[in-house]
Parts: sequence; structure tokens; C-alpha cells
Amino acid sequence: MSPIDRLRADAADLLRQGRAKVVLGYRQRGGQCIPVAVTDPEAAGALAWDPACKQNLAAYLRKPEVRRLRPVALVARPAVMRSLVVLAAESQVRPEDVVVLAVGDDGEYHGVLDLAGTAALLKEKYADLGHDAAAMKRIEELAAMTPEERAAFWAAEFAKCTRCYACRAACPACYCERCIVERNQPQWISTAARSHGNYAWNVIRAFHLAGRCTECGACEAACPQGIPLMLLNVGLAADVERQFGAKAGYDAEAEPVIGSWNAEDPEEFIR
Amino acid sequence: MRLLEAKKLGDLAAALQAAGYRVIAPVEDGGVVRLREWQPGERIVTDAFAVNSAKDFLLPRSEAIARYRIEGNDFEAQDVPVEAPKTALLCVRPCDAASLAAMDTVFNWDYADEFYNARRAATTVITLGCTTADEHCFCTSAGGAPDATAGADAVLRPADGGTRLVLETFGEKGEALAAAAGALLAEGDAQIDPPAEVPARFDAAAVTAWLRENFESPLWQQVSLACLGCGACAYACPTCHCFDIQDEGNRKEAVRYRNWDTCGLTLFTAHAGGHNPRADQSARWRQRVMHKFAYFPERFGMLACTGCGRCGRLCPAGMAISETCAAIDREAKAAKR
Amino acid sequence: MAQTYATQETSNAGGFEPRIVAFVCNWCTYAGADLAGTSRLQYAPNVRVVKLPCTGRINPLFVLKAFEGGADAVLVSGCHPGDCHYTSGNYHARRRWTLFRDLLDRTGIDPRRLHFSWVSAAEGQKFADLINDITAKVREAGPFGATNPARRRP
Repeated sequence: MSPIDRLRADAADLLRQGRAKVVLGYRQRGGQCIPVAVTDPEAAGALAWDPACKQNLAAYLRKPEVRRLRPVALVARPAVMRSLVVLAAESQVRPEDVVVLAVGDDGEYHGVLDLAGTAALLKEKYADLGHDAAAMKRIEELAAMTPEERAAFWAAEFAKCTRCYACRAACPACYCERCIVERNQPQWISTAARSHGNYAWNVIRAFHLAGRCTECGACEAACPQGIPLMLLNVGLAADVERQFGAKAGYDAEAEPVIGSWNAEDPEEFIR
Repeated sequence: MRLLEAKKLGDLAAALQAAGYRVIAPVEDGGVVRLREWQPGERIVTDAFAVNSAKDFLLPRSEAIARYRIEGNDFEAQDVPVEAPKTALLCVRPCDAASLAAMDTVFNWDYADEFYNARRAATTVITLGCTTADEHCFCTSAGGAPDATAGADAVLRPADGGTRLVLETFGEKGEALAAAAGALLAEGDAQIDPPAEVPARFDAAAVTAWLRENFESPLWQQVSLACLGCGACAYACPTCHCFDIQDEGNRKEAVRYRNWDTCGLTLFTAHAGGHNPRADQSARWRQRVMHKFAYFPERFGMLACTGCGRCGRLCPAGMAISETCAAIDREAKAAKR
Repeated sequence: MAQTYATQETSNAGGFEPRIVAFVCNWCTYAGADLAGTSRLQYAPNVRVVKLPCTGRINPLFVLKAFEGGADAVLVSGCHPGDCHYTSGNYHARRRWTLFRDLLDRTGIDPRRLHFSWVSAAEGQKFADLINDITAKVREAGPFGATNPARRRP
């Protein structure tokens, strides 16, 4: 049986046995790979998988309509598996409510796992996931520019931003019921699609993800304007690893990077 | 027939610029096709869909509509001059042009919006007839067609296998455009290429009728489960027009902005007391569909959707209003049996 | 003395006077700034001090808001590690600053315009020297107007 056929068979079994009330996966529609929710075991044959499947299905766990269908099974590639571990570490998901249909980025299928099994798989097979090479290269190029050149680069990118918040909606780590941009006493971040608000929004969202982002790329894929958001998130994830030795999504007991501290944290920039 | 060589599209844009138009055209920009101000030498993209619509240039994402200053006890309100440069929307699609009917209606409904109207009056719309469509297009289900002319001041129809464009103008703005094109246009004959095939995806009248009776249908939960609640669809949509007013400033001076807003967000109907009448995403998705296919037809006799398909193309979750309408159409037919 | 210093500043070519916003903690840096004042130490009048109970209270958004409003530079300062009045507020802050500073640098906020320091209640001289140094550096870097990505434009 091919990996995708095994995945479909497992999905159907999970539903038949009541081990999951819904399977969140992907289906092909024309040239697009889009999310699908399967509740009928006979419909599991529609499940598909390819690297174009960018939307991070863990983002659906914040929807009460989805949680009502728990246990929820979801098709997860390594970055998505890591998202689930982050959600568990942040008490947003209970281990008994989630079942994982684990796939590798290359299409390999690892079978049905619970959250503990998922964390074990990540440590065993995906512990050395590097940061996206193309993004790192671009980040290095930007780092070699002057601050003014960098400011001009990002000003041009953020000028495209319409403040649709697709980046936020696509992200499993953005689960706040009231986002910082929706707070208006005071209005910390301008809601107007202008340079100051767009700068603040994109920078603060990246910052709120520091130490929590698993570099799945769903935000950049979701952005209808083609803004290279991963340059911000990968840059910060690389910083988190370099400065604090931390990588999000491997340890469900880990303390959040920004919420914790170490007496030996770096401070050479502090006068 | 007035003909333009298709390879001279760039020259037409240059001629329009020389005649004082700000030329907006679909161009390659950062990995996507975007409608924005054309720069000399840029290729006008006619074989792919722009991520944004003509709406950007009639109802900007954010515009200042008032300013005020406070000095001591004196309050001074200042008018903001309306920015309405002479603009040519070049090579937009017929579905973009068709959206203007709905926008013109809304912005002249209970009051005449001077900002929108000034820009509208200064805008000349030149559509390029569609000889290709993709699986997301559904203009023919929304009262339009790939070769329709509604809302256009001029139409360029591909001819002779796409090597030439036949220009047809409507009214003064169209004629002014032809005059600006000058010697680029030649008299002659050409065989107009067949318009794109856009199969019917649903029966809009049946959808409108069903919507009137099925506010509480369980269908809403089913069709909206994938929706993640962002504004990508609303902001790409040529007819979505909801806005938010925000004042930004300090104790001395402030600006009042009109910014795009979207019913897809939880905040859209959140009350100060904490209650939200559209409590979940299915209620918000229902609102989107009903506004376009029930409320707007009821009030104004037209759909607030032109079938451009941007929402389906851009949605990160694969939602598409045409899919919901098709599901409703099937449900309505099943109920009749 | 105060007069002379003021004349020195305004006589600089172009007459640009940097506007520096300093977010400081109440127990250490603010007290240190007080000490600089009571000791009659001269320091550049370019700084606007915003007092908070602890550096741990400083939301990175405050820094952005200062740049949005037109600050040419921002200083964030608090108690030395181990001396925080609330035990660990400055440790939390330190982590945030490490990442936020990198993020702002990556997106075009010149690191010459964002400074962090530990200034204790006894370090009046350090505070004065710090302000003078930052002011001189920022005066040299020029106004943070056109190239400030966070700036609110009219």
C-alpha cells in the first residue's frame, strides 16, 4: 500500500472505531491543496497529501466547532507536529483530544500516534530540522545591508499589507480570543493599513511568536499579498536557538521561552 | 474596428500616462500579479489573475477623511482635500468593471460619498475581455460574462489569436481614452477571439430564494468549518465595502481614518458588553453569503458579487463563496424533490 | 554651568536636538537619575523619562510607540541582575530585549537608536554619562525621521 493509501485506511479506521470524531486533512481541488474535515469513514478516500499542503491544521483546534468533534485526528507534517506539542505545553490542547496521522515532509507516512508518540517521533527523526535554507540566505543578505536599506526593504513589503490577518488566522499559535490589535483602550497598534500600523502589527506578531513558532510557513502561504513573513519568523527562531538554545515544539513540558529566564542569559548588549 | 496590436499594450499605457492619466494595470510584483501603478517598461499581465481588485483605487485601504487640531479651548476641524487623480484602470477584467454597479449604489445610497464619487468620476475603466478563465471564475453564475461590458468605459477584446485587441468605447470617458491612444489605434478588421468558457456553477436566483428561508439551516456549520476567520476574501473582493472609522492622534491633533473592515472577524460585531450576536464563524460566514446573495438583491435588485473568484483563489483555508452557493443550490434542489 | 551646556548643544550645526525616551524602573534607574539630579551632575536635557515599577513591566510595544511618536532614540534601563525589587522582573525583561532588539534591527531600526542598561540607585554618574553618550551618538546619527519604519506619517 502506498503511504497515502495507508493514511486513508488509518483515517477511516479511526472514524469507524470512534477514536476520532473528525479527521482534519487535505484534499485536492483543481491545482490547490486545501483543508478538509472528514467525519464519514467512507469519505476518507478523498484525503490527499503533498508538499503544497501548507495550511497548518493545528490552527483549527482553536475553533470551538472543531473541538466539539473531539477526539480530533489531524494529518501533521513535522512542523505541524511541533505546533501540537507547543499547544500542549501551553495548555491549549489536551493529549486525549488529539490523534496524529504523522507524515514526513517527503511524503513518508509514520502512522497513527498520540501526542506523546508524536513528541517521541520528533525527537527520534526530526530533532535536527534546520531553518529554511532560502530564508536564512535572504536573512543573511538583509543583515549585510545598512539599517536604512533594511528599513526600505521592509517598508516596501509592509506597504502591501492590507491587515487582513490571514497570517494570524493561519497560525496555530495565534489563539488569543482578543488579539493585541483588537485592544483599543488604548489602541496599541493602529488598525489602519498604513506604514506605522503595518510595521507594528507584523513586528509584534513575530515577537509574540518568539520561541513558539515552529516555522511551518502557513502564515506566508496564507498572505494574499505575498509578503515574505518567514524572513521575520525564521530570523527570530534562529535567534531563539542561538541565544537560548531553545527550539519550539519538542518538549510538551517546556517552559515558554519568553515566559522564563536563566541567570546566565546573554546580556553583552546591555550597558 | 479600432485595433491595437497586442504587443503595443505597454505603448498604450505610456500614451495614457503622457495624457495625464495615472495608469493602474496588472503587473508582476513580488511573486504575485498585482493591480498597481504601471511603471514604464513593465509587462502588463493578461494571462493571470491579480490578487487585488479595482476597489483599491476607488475605496483605498485607509484614507484620511477629517483632521482636527485643539489649541487651548479652540477646536478646529479641517477638511481633507479629496485625492482623485485622473486614473485609467487598464486591463482590469469584466468582473471588476461589473462590481462598480454595486459600489456606486452603496456609496450613493443614504448619502453621497464625496471621496468615492470624486475618485469614481476621475476613473476611466478599460477592461480586457477574458479568453481564459480558471476553476474559480463564476461570472456567468453572478449575472456577468467574460465578454460583458457593464461598468466599462472601454473594452479591449482579444482578436486574431490574441495578436490584436479590438477597442470599443462607451461614452465620453471612452472617447477621451481613444483620443489619448491616438496613432496607436488603426482602423481595420479582425476576428474577435471566442470568450473564455465559464460553466454555470449555481443558480443565483435559487440561492437567493433559499437564503430567505434557511437562516438556521445546519448547512451553515458544514460549509464554514474550514473558515479561519480572516479578511483575505473581503479585502480581495471588488464589491466588499464595509469600513471602520478610527481616530488617531493626541491631545493636540488627530486624523480620522476610514479603514477597510471585514465581517469575517470576531471583532466586527463584538459588543462593548462582551456579547457577540455572530458568536461563531458559521454565523459570520452566513452573513457574508447573505449580504451578497440575499440582502443586497432584496434592497438594490442586484448581487453584491460578480463571480471574479478571488476569494476562492486566495483563501488559505480553501473556502470559496461559489462552493457554498453550489452547495445551497444542491440543497434547494434536493428539498424540492 | 547649565547655561553653558545648553549653549553647547544648540550651537551644533543644523540645530538638531535628539528626542530620547527612556523607560526606566522606579527602584533603580529612576532613583539613579534622581541621584544625578540631586548631585548636580549635568546631563543632556534631551531625555524624557517614563517611570515604571519594573523593567519587567515594559512591553516591547512601549518602545515601538516611542518610535511611532517620533523618538530619535529609546533607552530602556533597570536594576542589575540579582537586584530587582521584584526579584526576577529584570530577568524576564532581559530575555525579551535580547530578541526584540534583534527583531527591530532586522526590520530597519538602527541599533544606534535603541539602548539598554543596568543603572542602580547609586549610579547617578553612570546615568548622566549614559544620557550624554547616547545623546551625542544620536545627534551624530541625525533625526530618525524619514528612515524610521515605525514612525506615524501625517
